[in-house]
Amino acid sequence: MGTAPLSRRTFLAAAGLAGLSAPLLSACGGSDGSSGKTIEWWNIATTDPGKTLWPQAVKEYQAAHPGVTIKQNPMENDAYKSKMTAQTASGKLPDLFHTWGGGVLKQQVDAGLVRDITDDVKPWIGNLSPIARQAYEFDGKTYAIPYDIGMVGFWYNKAHFDKAKIDKPPATWAEFLEDVRKLKAAGITPIALGGKEKWPGHYYWAYLAIRVGGVAAVQEASKTNDFTTDPFVQAGRHLKELVDLQPFQNGFLGASYSSTDGQAAQMGNGKTAMELMGQWAPSVQRDMGEGIGDDLGFFPFPAVEGGSGAVTEVFGGGGGNAVGRDGPDIAIDFLKFFASVDNDRKRVASGGYLPIAKGAESALTDPNLRTVWETLNKATGFQQFFDQAFPPAVGQEVNDQVAALIAGKAAPEQVAQAVTQAAKGQ
Amino acid sequence: MTPTTAPSSAVRLRSRLRGLSMHAIIWVVGAMIVVPLLYALVSGFKSTSELSGNPFGLPRQWVTANYTELLASGTFWRQVANSTVIALATMLVTVAVSALAAYVFARFAFRGREVVFTLFAIGLMFPFAVAILPLFILLRTFGLLDNPLGVILPQAAFGLPMTVIVLRGFFRNVPAELEEAAIIDGCSAFGFFWRILLPMARPALATVSVLAIVTSWNNFFLPLLVFTQPDWWTIPVGVQQFQGQYAQDTARILAYVVLAMAPALAFYTVAERQLIGGLTAGATKG
Amino acid sequence: MAVSVRKSAPGRDAASAPARHRRAARSRRRLRERATIAAFLLPALVLFAALVLLPVVFALYTSLFRWGGFGWPDEFVGLDNFVRLFQDEVFLGDLWRGFVLIALSVCVQLPFALAMAVLLNQRLRGRAFYRLLFFAPYVLSEVITGVLFTMIFAPDSGLADHIMDAVGLGGLGIGWFASSSTVLPTVFLVMTWKYFGFHMILYLAGLQSIPKDVLEAASIDGAGAWQRFRYVTLPLLGPTIRISAFLSVIGAIQLFDLIWVTTAGGPVHSSETMAVTMFQFGFKRYQVGYASAISVVMFLISFVFALFYQRYVLRRDLEGAVTSMRGRR
Repeated sequence: MGTAPLSRRTFLAAAGLAGLSAPLLSACGGSDGSSGKTIEWWNIATTDPGKTLWPQAVKEYQAAHPGVTIKQNPMENDAYKSKMTAQTASGKLPDLFHTWGGGVLKQQVDAGLVRDITDDVKPWIGNLSPIARQAYEFDGKTYAIPYDIGMVGFWYNKAHFDKAKIDKPPATWAEFLEDVRKLKAAGITPIALGGKEKWPGHYYWAYLAIRVGGVAAVQEASKTNDFTTDPFVQAGRHLKELVDLQPFQNGFLGASYSSTDGQAAQMGNGKTAMELMGQWAPSVQRDMGEGIGDDLGFFPFPAVEGGSGAVTEVFGGGGGNAVGRDGPDIAIDFLKFFASVDNDRKRVASGGYLPIAKGAESALTDPNLRTVWETLNKATGFQQFFDQAFPPAVGQEVNDQVAALIAGKAAPEQVAQAVTQAAKGQ
Repeated sequence: MTPTTAPSSAVRLRSRLRGLSMHAIIWVVGAMIVVPLLYALVSGFKSTSELSGNPFGLPRQWVTANYTELLASGTFWRQVANSTVIALATMLVTVAVSALAAYVFARFAFRGREVVFTLFAIGLMFPFAVAILPLFILLRTFGLLDNPLGVILPQAAFGLPMTVIVLRGFFRNVPAELEEAAIIDGCSAFGFFWRILLPMARPALATVSVLAIVTSWNNFFLPLLVFTQPDWWTIPVGVQQFQGQYAQDTARILAYVVLAMAPALAFYTVAERQLIGGLTAGATKG
Repeated sequence: MAVSVRKSAPGRDAASAPARHRRAARSRRRLRERATIAAFLLPALVLFAALVLLPVVFALYTSLFRWGGFGWPDEFVGLDNFVRLFQDEVFLGDLWRGFVLIALSVCVQLPFALAMAVLLNQRLRGRAFYRLLFFAPYVLSEVITGVLFTMIFAPDSGLADHIMDAVGLGGLGIGWFASSSTVLPTVFLVMTWKYFGFHMILYLAGLQSIPKDVLEAASIDGAGAWQRFRYVTLPLLGPTIRISAFLSVIGAIQLFDLIWVTTAGGPVHSSETMAVTMFQFGFKRYQVGYASAISVVMFLISFVFALFYQRYVLRRDLEGAVTSMRGRR
């Protein structure tokens, strides 16, 4: 085959074509989809209670606003993230879309793809809890409206704790490790973990870093991009202490969070004693397993001896909806409706969400969720999930590295270094 | 039995034993293939709670709801229809465009022919994944998102290399005398192509068509990225979404998997000869 | 990429009219021929250039930039992405795992497929049915296969663990997809389940094209079954084996859907392939330039391998094909 003439001619032809694409690319966006009366809403409400509540809200809104159509497009979590990346790269986001805020939203904002809704929502955003709004505000501007907020903590099975003769939830990391040993000795799998998805594992490292250095240390690291500081290395060491006890269920590295025999099902079917998870844990436990009813309890992440972080500093996040650059006003109006006390009460009553609107907390009947809510409201510091707060490349590296640490494939120092490298490479 | 047949009966015994052991091996391998499929089929008739306690046996109580609910829901049929439409259209575009090109490659001499042909052949080395992101941007530019053409055209383009190569090999074997005769009879190039070459190439065309259909039917990422609205989802996308949505309901997912496999397997039993014939012809010829 | 066989177009030098006439006619014909070539080739060229070449060239271009996928790439970094790539442990691991999968495919899966082909080439009751059955998984999509096997290999509750318990091997506690040490063999098991039938079919066709009299002649010369296989069948099957090995290698290099659905590359990268890493960077970390660099390397590996294979391994087969084609004419 004639290699020489081929490569040159191909290259020239191809180069010409590539040149062509530039004007085409810049021509896209801004032309379609914003006609006003029909809006597209991408979200991740594919499981209950969201699967029922979201369409219900849409229906009510449409009934009150004749002529408006909201096309819902719910996607499975992972598929949604992939799709949003492609969508972001192509330069146009849907009229209304789910966001966890933080670094990912920030990148989209910086790329000019998200509508600044600060002025539009000023009249009513005061009704929403400030802690819930935090993840969607940059430089004093608002880019999304929350529908949920919460925090991560330990959910535990009281019956198992009784059986292992543990009389009260651990308050310190040393006590916690001791309880893990006791549970193992009693023949109970101490902790359920969905290792395949990585994000459940990063909660441990993140919380430990917060307990050692406080939220301030994390904020500092996200500015300097230096994660090799003491709190993060310490976090890795403490996590390794736990991993060395082999506290997780059989096959946890291949387990998902929500699937048959995944993390939630392990807890929901009473097979394990604890999981570290957010406010949605009880509802997913019920959805994936039987649920353990009154045996379920909640305790905040224990303090680390010698750490400067207080137990009242919390780690968590929520969910919200942002408006695309070309999204119409009606999308914002719908967000106002969706964030209203009435709608929030419905969400809270379903047991899957915590209140974001003032006045909705009266619908909070579950004692555990009440505990979570009160802890959250008394919090002296709040840190969003690392994989959302940081830019995607850093967040994913945290997840990857912590997963390696939990699998026994990386040392605490390596984790800190790799995350730093990813952060500096941004 | 007379003594003279004694040795032959020993031979027969040996060959029977050999036959038996051969069958035994084939049965074991066959079981490996069948068991997962059968497991899915039978499990679809159980409830998920029974499935964990009774993974092997027949259902104590045949639950047909998993299957009937899916079949009645309309979503499944919608996906079958989408997959079918997209596969057929992909096949038509791929084969039509490739046949024209393969004809030129096979029966005309012109400067740069080998260069262009090589370019196509290199296309075989492009993994779909390599191009997916730029492709997405391109499709968006042309407004082909949420449009079946956004899947059909790229699939056809990526199917071109293989189809062109197979068809060119076939067209080449058509004797030159035939073309000369046709031209003397006043046939145009297209006339020859349309009325003589294509009918002669029917077996090869059948094969590449079946290949194009199978590839399109099984494609996952392109439809996943192109179709945001469930209205156009194809079967693989549907299965994956379904798995996310009913994560806790293993039996129902297995029922869906079985239903999703059924059309492909049915099509395969019908088109088996074309598929296998074409694959082997392609491989032995190079 | 076959060698050009016919150097002249058909239908030339037909008439013997006066020279001037002939020249005019020829130039007219050549014009028409050119028009035909252009018209017939154009659709394929446009489709191919727009939807295959353009995206691939674009990927090549962006691999030289640090680019998050927003707007137009503008931070040119030269070959930095590639340098980084070859220091990236995960990527180097991808190369190693790719190599392992290829080695397993060529050394285990293909011989197995060949053995089954030889078995099914015997006179055997139900032969056609077995052939149909063994090939069936090939037509299933990788996604569906993946979903099915995720459930079968689910820790504790899956069919695989129940079978192990039933045969008394439950104590081994094999983790299947869930353990770094068993995930790759498990993936390979699924690959074999899905693809061995395909290779078997290729071999069967090759076997059937071996003339019976050759084998009979060897048999008369006193060659045993194994000798007949080793010295007659295997060499004659050469071209088929080389093609099947080629397809197997290219398939392993580009493996994606199956891994993505079953393990997403885990646990801790132990089943990650180049395509999965690329996807992680492109679609999860917004490092599209870096992801493009991975895809470029993937392409180059496939391409160099194909060139090399074409040049040194397949050449003999092509020559054979060419001569046999001449013989037929």
